[in-house]
Amino acid sequence: MLSFQRQLAKTAGQDAWMAVVLSGMIIHLMIWMIYSMLNKDKGDLISIHQQTFGKWPGNLLSTIYILFMLLQTITVLRAYIEIVQVWMFPVLKTWPLALVLLLIVYYVVSSGFRVVTGVCFLAVVVPSYLILTFFVPIEFSNFRNLLPVFDHSVTQMALSVKTASLSFSGFELLLFYYPFIKQPEKSQKWAHLGNLLTTLLYLLVVVVTLAFFDQEYLKRVIWPTLMMWKIIELPFVERFEIIGVTSWAIVMMPIICLMVWSASRGIKKMYKIKQRKSLVFLLFICFVICSLLSEREIIQQFNSWITNIGFFIFLYIPFLFVCYHIRFKLKGKGQ
Amino acid sequence: MKRWLFKKPDEKEISEHVSLIDHCKKSGDFVYFYSSRPQQPYWIAYFSSIVDEEILHRDILPPLHQTALTSLAEIKAALPIQNVQITSDCQTIENALLRGSVLIQFHEKDTACVLVRAPMIKARDVTIPEEEYSVVGPKEAFVESLTTNLNLIRSRLPISELQVKEYIIGSLSKTKVAVLYIEGITNDENVQTACQRLESLDYHQILDSSFISQLIEDNKNSIFPQFIDTERPDRVAGVLAEGSVVIMVDGSSHAIIGPISIMELFNAFEDYFVNWQMASAFRLIRVFAVAFSIMVTPVYVAVLTYHYQLIPKDLLVTLVSSRRNIPLPPILEAVILELTIELLREAGARLPTKVGQTIGIVGGIVIGTAAVDAGLTSNVLLILVALAALASFTTPVYRMGNTIRLLRFPFLLMADLWGLLGIAIAFLFLMTHLLKLTSLGRPYLEPIFPPNIRDLKDAFVRLPFSTQSKRPDFLQTKNPVRFPVKKRDKVKDIDE
Repeated sequence: MLSFQRQLAKTAGQDAWMAVVLSGMIIHLMIWMIYSMLNKDKGDLISIHQQTFGKWPGNLLSTIYILFMLLQTITVLRAYIEIVQVWMFPVLKTWPLALVLLLIVYYVVSSGFRVVTGVCFLAVVVPSYLILTFFVPIEFSNFRNLLPVFDHSVTQMALSVKTASLSFSGFELLLFYYPFIKQPEKSQKWAHLGNLLTTLLYLLVVVVTLAFFDQEYLKRVIWPTLMMWKIIELPFVERFEIIGVTSWAIVMMPIICLMVWSASRGIKKMYKIKQRKSLVFLLFICFVICSLLSEREIIQQFNSWITNIGFFIFLYIPFLFVCYHIRFKLKGKGQ
Repeated sequence: MKRWLFKKPDEKEISEHVSLIDHCKKSGDFVYFYSSRPQQPYWIAYFSSIVDEEILHRDILPPLHQTALTSLAEIKAALPIQNVQITSDCQTIENALLRGSVLIQFHEKDTACVLVRAPMIKARDVTIPEEEYSVVGPKEAFVESLTTNLNLIRSRLPISELQVKEYIIGSLSKTKVAVLYIEGITNDENVQTACQRLESLDYHQILDSSFISQLIEDNKNSIFPQFIDTERPDRVAGVLAEGSVVIMVDGSSHAIIGPISIMELFNAFEDYFVNWQMASAFRLIRVFAVAFSIMVTPVYVAVLTYHYQLIPKDLLVTLVSSRRNIPLPPILEAVILELTIELLREAGARLPTKVGQTIGIVGGIVIGTAAVDAGLTSNVLLILVALAALASFTTPVYRMGNTIRLLRFPFLLMADLWGLLGIAIAFLFLMTHLLKLTSLGRPYLEPIFPPNIRDLKDAFVRLPFSTQSKRPDFLQTKNPVRFPVKKRDKVKDIDE
């Protein structure tokens, strides 16, 4: 969210906001697919995989998925640490910060799902003042930057949708925590509502960014959101981006906690390993890889690599949806 | 049948009985004498230190002397005292003697005896509350006697549904502990949790209710109070009617309230005595004061160590000029001042009131000014630390104030390590800890998480009584309705 506008603008230019709206819609469709699977199965991704592909192939797929989640966690964490290193503490080593942040993750996840949801809730509510900061740059914006509308080809749009949809990732974790929801069938409308809110928030950010920056300039700015924060001035605070980066430590916590929780939960279900043990193991891997990713180029490469794999997940959910329903039909006939 | 009626006390029972009396005789305040009355001689025994001799001489001895009493039952009937029992159980006798009963028997070797309760009750009078003083509202505070305290509560809740469950806890202190709740309102699960924890308690001495609250807390490693202790009977009556469980301990002038949520630590009971606008404003001030008290020195350290770019130019001039001659880094400066304040507070708390005031003046004015003059601290930080200390005293629950002052130090250390980021990390730890905490099994952070709009009516603000027709959701009461909601009158038109 601190840098996704740049990627979008690279391909879709001033029409980037449409990509956000489109991908929001696609995510709605996917949430619907996930719910239609889960409501039938009453389980989670692991049981769906086992149902659809049989026990061992299903478990293999789940393991690959969990590995991917682990990589995603590492990306989020490392990206944040990089921002801290660039904007706040240029000489700070990676490993101490990674260690402390992962210790918090351990504390959260080991306290159970109730605390994980609590962190998700509070980490949205507490830094919500950051939304206000996106209204400040409007004063210095030029909304003519958004014109002309519909100036990009379908391929450019599709590429842009691909990058935009990635910043929505997190909803697919429903596949893991569904059994923990009290009244899972009723939660669907909240999932859609949440997605709508995310879409609107992204839309606001993208529109403001597009209006604030010149397009050519935007393509060269790595973290447009942080650049926008720079112009905020309060009577007692200058250089707001430092506060922004600090608050981001809270913002990025829930996604890491949720992913690590889901991964350790999945391992517990498949291999009957105690969640506490697998959690320590997962966090240790995160810590080691995070500390090893030291140079900017390597991080970039790692990021784009994860991005490309991440896109497969978006193709994979509809695929799973089709497979699962075919399998369900066949089973129904068999009986 | 015959054997049962004329059963002779067996040897073992007699020897037990005799050894009990012998055992007690070793104590200097044990009285055991023989009255050689012509009609019927008898033995009498009691601990003189805990028996009211006036009752003994006025009510017990005269009837024994006047009439010829030949059996224990006759003695029981003759005494004008209600609490008389006949028993031969050694354990009962021992307990009763030690609680201020007088033992009467005919022969030294009888196992059966009459126990007459004549305890000397020494209790101070009900006084005004000191910790939770309020300008408006009732001015009664609990005392050390459980009976008096229960009396204060019962007189505010004269209903039969108010239940008192008593336990005896402590192998040495044998302290009476009472669990209070209102049947039909309080959630059974909460009562059971409290009772179970009390039953499974195994400790030698309970001197105060704080012993109990420490022993039955959900998380014993947390610095946050998981029960509220109060000295106000009106507050206890109030929370009982809300559906909480209250634990009272004989010998303690504080009742424990549970389950609680963190917002209740910001509520003074006085908030219910003033109108809702005032109460809400005060509560918001308290919440702000607590946040200020925890955060202000760490932010000062973080900003001056790492992020001086954050401060606007004009403000920076003030800060820099006040810090120009100071040789210490901000963290040392802050820690020294914080420790000074803690020192003053601790010294003030240990000394008698009069001397304490002097210490306050010496500490506040002399040390503060001298430290600035000597160039050890900047006056900006002195102001901030003093304000933070002041702010920590705004919390109505005394224990919470201590928590806040202690909480500042980890924040300070993290601020010195990683600046604002360190504060954010410390905050994340704190947040997780609070999310994890429970009080009697109920979530500690309740109206905030799990979010509950109904309970927010009496959390950060206190809305008028007419909007509070339901009991707090958080307590999961059996009867959530406080009073039926009246239909709102039609709004009158102008000049009608």
